[in-house]
Amino acid sequence: MSAIAPPTPRSVSAPALLSARNIRKSFSIGEETLEILHGVNLDLHQGEMLALTGTSGAGKSTLLHILGLLDRPSEGSVSIEGQSGWDLSIAERANIRNQRIGFVFQFYHLLPELDAVENVLLPAMIHESQASFRRRRRQHYEHARELLAGFGLGSRFAHRPSQLSGGERQRVALARALFHDPAILIADEPTGNLDTHTGEKVLELIFREQQRRQLSLLLVTHDERLAQRCQRHLVMADGRIA
Amino acid sequence: MFRWFLSLRYLRARKTNLIGIGGIFVGVGALILILSIMTGFLEETRRSVRGSLSDLVISPYFGIREDSRVPSDPAKLLEAVRADARVAAAAAHLVWYCQIVKQGSDANYNLRILSNSQSGNLSAVQIVGIDPQDEFGATELHDALERTPMRGAKVDDVDRPFEIPERFNATPLEQGIVVGEKLYDNLALKRGDRVTLATVVPDTRKSGQVLTQSRNYIVLGTFRSMENEMDMSRIYLDRAELVDFLDSPIDFSEVLVKLHDFKRDGETTKAELQESLTKKHLLFGYSGEVRTWQEFRGVLLGAIENERVLMGIMLSLVLLVAGFTVFAILSMMVTEKRRDIGILTALGATPRGVMTSFLMIAFWDALIGAALGAVFGTWGALKIDAIERSLSSTFGVQIFNREVYLFDTIPSVVEVLPVTLIVLGAFVCAILFAAIPAWRAANLDPLEALRHE
Repeated sequence: MSAIAPPTPRSVSAPALLSARNIRKSFSIGEETLEILHGVNLDLHQGEMLALTGTSGAGKSTLLHILGLLDRPSEGSVSIEGQSGWDLSIAERANIRNQRIGFVFQFYHLLPELDAVENVLLPAMIHESQASFRRRRRQHYEHARELLAGFGLGSRFAHRPSQLSGGERQRVALARALFHDPAILIADEPTGNLDTHTGEKVLELIFREQQRRQLSLLLVTHDERLAQRCQRHLVMADGRIA
Repeated sequence: MFRWFLSLRYLRARKTNLIGIGGIFVGVGALILILSIMTGFLEETRRSVRGSLSDLVISPYFGIREDSRVPSDPAKLLEAVRADARVAAAAAHLVWYCQIVKQGSDANYNLRILSNSQSGNLSAVQIVGIDPQDEFGATELHDALERTPMRGAKVDDVDRPFEIPERFNATPLEQGIVVGEKLYDNLALKRGDRVTLATVVPDTRKSGQVLTQSRNYIVLGTFRSMENEMDMSRIYLDRAELVDFLDSPIDFSEVLVKLHDFKRDGETTKAELQESLTKKHLLFGYSGEVRTWQEFRGVLLGAIENERVLMGIMLSLVLLVAGFTVFAILSMMVTEKRRDIGILTALGATPRGVMTSFLMIAFWDALIGAALGAVFGTWGALKIDAIERSLSSTFGVQIFNREVYLFDTIPSVVEVLPVTLIVLGAFVCAILFAAIPAWRAANLDPLEALRHE
């Protein structure tokens, strides 16, 4: 990992790919208001690997969901490739999630009724109309199979999630996240549910693809050692970036 | 695209959907089957009760106003009615009730008939005075005279039914009648027999009094209208003769009108005739003096129609139950698929897309259920007679008693419009019931689902 150049010079000159300003998030429970994020600022540049660590309840996941345009902040703005995400329409925001952001979750989150290839194809199915998907069906299937084969799942195309191991599931989830060749990969504890050895293999894949595709990677983890392997390492505590 | 794909996948994966499909299938099938049979019943009954009735029946309310200028002679009324371009033919006739007794040697037989408590239907028959040529134009009497009798005997000359053949040795004053074939059979009549008709007539000149009248007639032959009641209790004779016999204060009681196109003109002609004839003082102006034949048989037809509507409503409840099933299944599914909904949202699905996916499950339910229902319902309706026969013989019980009804096969008419409406109804029902869970799915918080395993 030492070969990776420090990102600092680029962050000064080039505009950030993902930029969050003054993000606040609070929940009302009865009469009490619980503030989880207290004005977080964060920039993620193209090709950058950013690790976010912190104790449980520090607000990592909430921040991740806000950055991934899944959860609306109480205050503040998130801009992705220059577009202010939370000022867009529901459909435009959904389209950014579909095209520009890839998600990898701790619990894989594959659809149990679909086989591996179909799970990888989901982003395309969501994006395209019936007619256009049918036109490009072969192309899509080939792409999905290529991705899976590249992750060592060449013999697992027709397997349902229940027939796959944890590591295999996470690799399917990674293939799904990368299907549309997104600019940003958000990984929320991607190895949190895997044993060390399997987790390591999945991480290798993530780092490999990050390099190959020049992805901007936002990695949430508990694992300090893992965080050290990223170019930049932010620590969250009490809803702030320390 | 994912809406189609996922909805089909969920449909396949969750066997409980079969219950929804089954409910819609049963509802649609039963509705089509029962409504087709009821429509068949209605049409058959309509055909059989139509019988001698013409399209419109004009019956002035004689005797209600004493100072009326409405003439008791039908000539002017007929003239006015025939002047309407929509009218094909019109005929006046006079209806009366009387008793009929066969003359001759068989006095014991008469005694038995007249003293028999079970022969009520024979004690009063309807005598109808007609102008034969007019009546032929406006009703199906000509056919009834010409039809090969089952138990009766045709008149010598169908075109002049009241002409008395020489062999009957009529005296100059004697006149002939034509009798319904069942009445002819019940009274054991023969052509050339003499019968006595006896009746009472109100004496309008002295209020409250009635006069009794009776006269002998020669039986010239029979008619067969295929309508049970008519063939059993109706006698035709010349109208002028009936007026003379009764010394009747009115020359006609009804004018029968046949239209060129009843379906198109029936209701409008009825209303317009009522108005124009009243203006010309040919009617009294009470509503109901001009009626369509359907109004005449209104009670019977209304009862069947009523029954059809009631059946429709009751069976629609089956669809409603099917709708509830779809609702229950989808609600369960939305709860179960919370995580999937979250995943789809993360991958770029809009709430609308999520909602449509669940609505489409209901759409497939309705499509499969309604298609099966339409096919089997229509097939059942077309083959109901054969189905009933084989069921009856298999189980040894008679499901449809052909003796009770006038038809020897179970009537059934499959119409495109009701079938289309039923299928559409099933769709609307399924989609409406699915709307609530689908809406709930669209409004789920995706994060809630994503946070946990």
